[in-house]
Amino acid sequence: MQDLYLLIKPRFLGFRNRMARSDRRTKKRAFVMGGLGLFFCLGLFIVSCRVLIHFQSAEVIGDLLARQLLSMIFLTFFSLLIFSHIITALSNLYISKDLELCHSTPVVLEEVFISRAVYTLMDSSWMLIIFGLPIFMAYAYVYGAGPGFYFTLLHMSLSMAMIAGGIGILITMVLVYVFPAHRTRDIIMLLSVVMLVGLYFLFRFLRPERLVDPDAYFTIMQYMSALKMPQSPYIPTQWISDALWAVLTGKGGEDYLFYIMLTWTTAGAIAVISVWVARAIYFEGLSKSQEAKKRRAGGKRALDLLVELIKKPFGVDLGAIIAKDIRTFFRDNTQWSQLLLLGALVVVYVYNFSVLPLDKSPIRLDFLQNELAFLNMGLAGFVLAAVSARFVFPAVSAEGEAYWIVRSSPLRLKRYLWGKYLFFLAPMLILAEVLIIGTNYMLEVTRFMMFLSSITMFFMVFGILALGIGFGALYPNFKYENIAQVATGFGGVLYMIVSSIFIGAVIVLEAGPVYILFMANLRGNTISLFQWLFIIVSFSAVLVINITAIFKPIKMGLKALREYE
Amino acid sequence: MIKLINLTKVYRGLRAVDGINLEIEKGHIFGFLGPNGAGKTTTIKMMAGVLSPTEGQIIINDMDLVKDPSGVKQCVGFIPDRPFVYEKLAGIEFLRFIAGLYHLDHTPLLSHRISELLELFELGQWGEELIESYSHGMKQRLVMCAALLHEPEVLIVDEPMVGLDPKGARLVKNIFKDQAVKGTTVFMSTHSLDVAAEVCDEIAIIQGGHIIARGTASALRRQAGVGGNLEQIFLKLTEGKGLANARPLSSH
Ligand SMILES: Nc1ncnc2c1ncn2[C@@H]1O[C@H](COP(=O)(O)OP(=O)(O)OP(=O)(O)O)[C@@H](O)[C@H]1O
Ligand SMILES: [Mg+2]
Repeated sequence: MQDLYLLIKPRFLGFRNRMARSDRRTKKRAFVMGGLGLFFCLGLFIVSCRVLIHFQSAEVIGDLLARQLLSMIFLTFFSLLIFSHIITALSNLYISKDLELCHSTPVVLEEVFISRAVYTLMDSSWMLIIFGLPIFMAYAYVYGAGPGFYFTLLHMSLSMAMIAGGIGILITMVLVYVFPAHRTRDIIMLLSVVMLVGLYFLFRFLRPERLVDPDAYFTIMQYMSALKMPQSPYIPTQWISDALWAVLTGKGGEDYLFYIMLTWTTAGAIAVISVWVARAIYFEGLSKSQEAKKRRAGGKRALDLLVELIKKPFGVDLGAIIAKDIRTFFRDNTQWSQLLLLGALVVVYVYNFSVLPLDKSPIRLDFLQNELAFLNMGLAGFVLAAVSARFVFPAVSAEGEAYWIVRSSPLRLKRYLWGKYLFFLAPMLILAEVLIIGTNYMLEVTRFMMFLSSITMFFMVFGILALGIGFGALYPNFKYENIAQVATGFGGVLYMIVSSIFIGAVIVLEAGPVYILFMANLRGNTISLFQWLFIIVSFSAVLVINITAIFKPIKMGLKALREYE
Repeated sequence: MIKLINLTKVYRGLRAVDGINLEIEKGHIFGFLGPNGAGKTTTIKMMAGVLSPTEGQIIINDMDLVKDPSGVKQCVGFIPDRPFVYEKLAGIEFLRFIAGLYHLDHTPLLSHRISELLELFELGQWGEELIESYSHGMKQRLVMCAALLHEPEVLIVDEPMVGLDPKGARLVKNIFKDQAVKGTTVFMSTHSLDVAAEVCDEIAIIQGGHIIARGTASALRRQAGVGGNLEQIFLKLTEGKGLANARPLSSH
């Protein structure tokens, strides 16, 4: 136990030292980031509150909806947690550079394992605090819950993280052990397919579209029983959300104590099983994972062809960088898995639209479609930002410790950054337009909205990309062990927040004028001079925001990168 | 030709390099010696344009590094102390990548030069393998190939002998000498006094960010006022406190 404490300590010492020794600029940055994070949390809190209050206004079913939402949130978090644990476990347990040192000391294997598992838990879970806490606080606020709720929330979340973490770590250990190292890519492919299928079933199981489709059920009673349906006694998140619901509303009887005990015993059991499995297979897996793989000749030729094709429009120097990036991308398994994960995100997003029962909605169709088209723009923007957080944001950090090569070469940093920017431009534009036009088509939006959203998305991509490259250069991390970590770092999260704000601002600014135009059209009024002014100012503001988002971040990033040492 | 004028680097209050002035003639091999933490790597990184100086100027081939970074870097080859490279590239791909960065065109001549360099550094049969499967010394050799690829007029090298086998070390010494004969200026830091004595035309000793002595080996000998080999001169000049008369740790 003493050793375990020693093994975990360096992480905290490192954190403390970084805090204590940070200079003024780092402090300022931390301050700005903290402020933005708080701003984001506040926004999420307000939105969640409004949704919950809106639910409550619907008599009988309001509570049901809120409860359903709670269990959906937990289920989503739970699956996200499992996946992020797989990624971070891979790097903490098998790739980390200090592993060699730890394993060469006389500390017992189990303790090394536990310390790494704790790291994994910390790395994967902290994002959920930022995104989850405001939502839960909204529940507490709307339902007037006391400190007991927060206490239950705290330890239930911990146990949930432990269960998800245990599952993720076990999956990782077994995979690394079972498959020889050079097959990792195949493993990850397999894993991702499994994840995709799992995600599909998860969504079929939750059937989120039911929530907007009360007319499909003849009576309230039927609707309610349909909502209640997917109660699985075997899914831990169900126990957790039931327990929390009981504390939140004071209803639910003594069951909740049982659920709490059930959750904690499961968490304990999984922890013990993980250690037990680690004892059996962890070390052998580690040894296996260290051998480099042999290359396959066939894949090489295809890759060469692809590289030649893509780098053509760029100069010799940028072409060299791009060729290197593409090769590294295809040879680095951790990047592949990310692509598939994002594929899943896109699929879920599009799927949601394909099942929306629009024709059954009680609200006027054209009005709803307008509203949905704006919502859709926001969602598509968010998906793009998520994609770019995974690929564009880490583009600079991807040089890793070999960054000195770029720095000592005659390539100018400005050219370097814009080169990376241009490289991502075409694929991102295509993705954006396919997403927005496809989903708008499913939503059957008006021609005007189709036009407006595809134009807006087109220009927004320039900003989203520039923010990604700029923030990537502002917060580079050349010392990562696994490129997947870069996006989940502080800079990555900040990038997500800032680009969400950017997307939100553009959409809100556009929504006002469109509403005026729509209403005028509906009622047959003319638009007043003042309204025209408002419309012009709004669209000009959109233009200004967009241009700022394109040039400012890259400029800032360039400056930071020049001063980086 | 290399000229350092009042070169200074301050890391949060620590003057790692403190007002260095040096001038190195074309075609010379210049040895940069000093104890651990003296400021060698910091100086070299600034010269390679990887680190920005707090103060002072770096003039290479009559160009100012701060004013025309690309121009200077185009004629410099840099070999850092630790060979961090792109692990997922094959050796040849890596060299082609470097060629692109230095604007060398994709010609048969380039392919020829690449295979020539790989042969020279005995990496011929490893060219198609991913760098992640290379040993430390092999990566070191590859980085040297990369630095020589564009036939630089100035070579800046940080501890070239670390991790090389005796044959490799011999090879590197010969290459530096050849390059110098061809007119390339070599600036290298090293802890190996034998290497310094053997290949360097001139030596400077840095300590605590200051140049405390410079000149040929015999000039240094005179300055230190001791006879004997370079090691004694070095220890005398850096005052080798506790080192010159250190005893092995006693086991309790
Ligand atoms: N990134 C950094 N931040 C702060 N201080 C640094 C940094 N890098 C080096 N230093 C300090 O600068 C001084 C000079 O370091 P440098 O690496 O140049 O030494 P060196 O002569 O290359 O030593 P060695 O022989 O061990 O390689 C040392 O005191 C070191 O502590
Ligand atoms: Mg050094």
